[in-house]
Amino acid sequence: MSGTAVFRQQGLRALSWPLLFEVAWKNVRLRYKSSLLGFVWTLLNPVLYLLIFLFIFSKAFAQVENYPVFALSGLILWTFFATTSAHVQGALVENSGVLRSLAVPPLVFPLAQWMAGVFNLVLSLLPFALILAAFGWRPAPVHLLVLPALLVFTLFVFGVGLALSALHVFFRDVGLLWSALLPAFFYLTPIAYPPDLVPEDLRWVAGMNPLYWFVDLFRTVVCDSTPPAFEQWVRTILLAVAALAMGMLVFRSLRPGFIANY
Amino acid sequence: MDARVMIELRDLQVDYLVQRHGYRSIKEYLVSFGSKKLLERKRIIEQVDLDIHTGECFGIVGRNGSGKSTLLRVLAGIVAPSGGSARVHGRVAPMLALGVGLEPELNGLENARLCAALLGGDRSAIQRTLEHVRAFAGLAEDDLGMQVKRYSTGMMARLGFAIATANDPEILLIDEVLAVGDAEFQMRCYAHIDTLKSKGSTVIFVSHSLGEVQKLCDRAGCMEHGRMVMVGGTHEVGMHYHRLLGIPTNP
Repeated sequence: MSGTAVFRQQGLRALSWPLLFEVAWKNVRLRYKSSLLGFVWTLLNPVLYLLIFLFIFSKAFAQVENYPVFALSGLILWTFFATTSAHVQGALVENSGVLRSLAVPPLVFPLAQWMAGVFNLVLSLLPFALILAAFGWRPAPVHLLVLPALLVFTLFVFGVGLALSALHVFFRDVGLLWSALLPAFFYLTPIAYPPDLVPEDLRWVAGMNPLYWFVDLFRTVVCDSTPPAFEQWVRTILLAVAALAMGMLVFRSLRPGFIANY
Repeated sequence: MDARVMIELRDLQVDYLVQRHGYRSIKEYLVSFGSKKLLERKRIIEQVDLDIHTGECFGIVGRNGSGKSTLLRVLAGIVAPSGGSARVHGRVAPMLALGVGLEPELNGLENARLCAALLGGDRSAIQRTLEHVRAFAGLAEDDLGMQVKRYSTGMMARLGFAIATANDPEILLIDEVLAVGDAEFQMRCYAHIDTLKSKGSTVIFVSHSLGEVQKLCDRAGCMEHGRMVMVGGTHEVGMHYHRLLGIPTNP
């Protein structure tokens, strides 16, 4: 707490590490508290989808080498995207009571939700690796590249979520819209099906979906066990930077109106 | 005691950016993208000049929507002035709403940690808050280990008050939060506020109730349409406020 404060235009409190840490840690605990299975829930959802995929698609996509590993690697990214973008998106409105009554920088709440999501993702990597191993996947040093690949991806998700969280303050239908759009994105993204299933002349449509390129990057590491090509990195990093820039821009330009519209 | 100035407001002006009427759906916004502005400026506070000194309890009365709560938000650092300046010389403990920041699923001590961080505390301030809550909240150790969703309103108020006052605030901002507690809690709060005042803390107290302001405050101001229309003794400000409301005053 500062001794003296002078408030002029925009001269409000900045982010601090203890604050971010406490709020993020609260988010982590709330996700697991008062639920019987706790952390297992995070794994249960993708694993259930995996079982359904195996049941329905493993014959259909026989041309995919090791379909379970292919499907699960896509599902890991998808689960993170769906849950974390939704959590970040709701973060400002859910904490409007605090934001109206305490001098907390609003950015804390989306950021802390993202941190909790990343924490959860990192925790889930080991159990996912075990499941992959059960399907004949073998870890190799090249797989350490999942860490930078995931970092780029999580930053992209934060950018998207941040823009949504700011819009949500003004339009309560953003939350509903997003939950309606997510299933559409799920089918648009090659999670359950191989990307070459899309007809050649429509590939450019599939490529318009940013998630396509992150799934592509991640699978290059996990499924093909090869380091991604330079342009794969460049493309995804540019997408992440663009999403972050857009998120910050929307957030910053709408922020002056937050207080009167929470 | 030397009366150091704790709060200096100079020609303070606060504008809120309010969403234009009937602009509630994203469709309308996107359809008219660029052609219309999403937000319009609305003046909430204007031309407020005010000095408040150490050890003073200053009451603010005024009708709903006259800008009282917004003024407290400026003092708490939640809202930045749109014009003029607001200088606040001291640690501020904002109590603008009861139980704000309390997370129902977490227990009392976990909440104390969280709220101390939300109030801007560093590691040592968080530790002090935990010690203060243990010693002064008037809650048993069992209660502090219980989820806050099982607390009564009174228990919640005690926890919130103990958290807010843990780090020896020099300036206490109170927005009618005392009204919700029971009589015993209110007594304790008044006693605590008196202690803080005698230690030199400054209290800003916003209320609709003239009685409370006269009981607690040394000086008062009356707000109307975003302006501080009168500053003075609690009695004369009270008379003025009653005239505004159209209540007959008996001198």
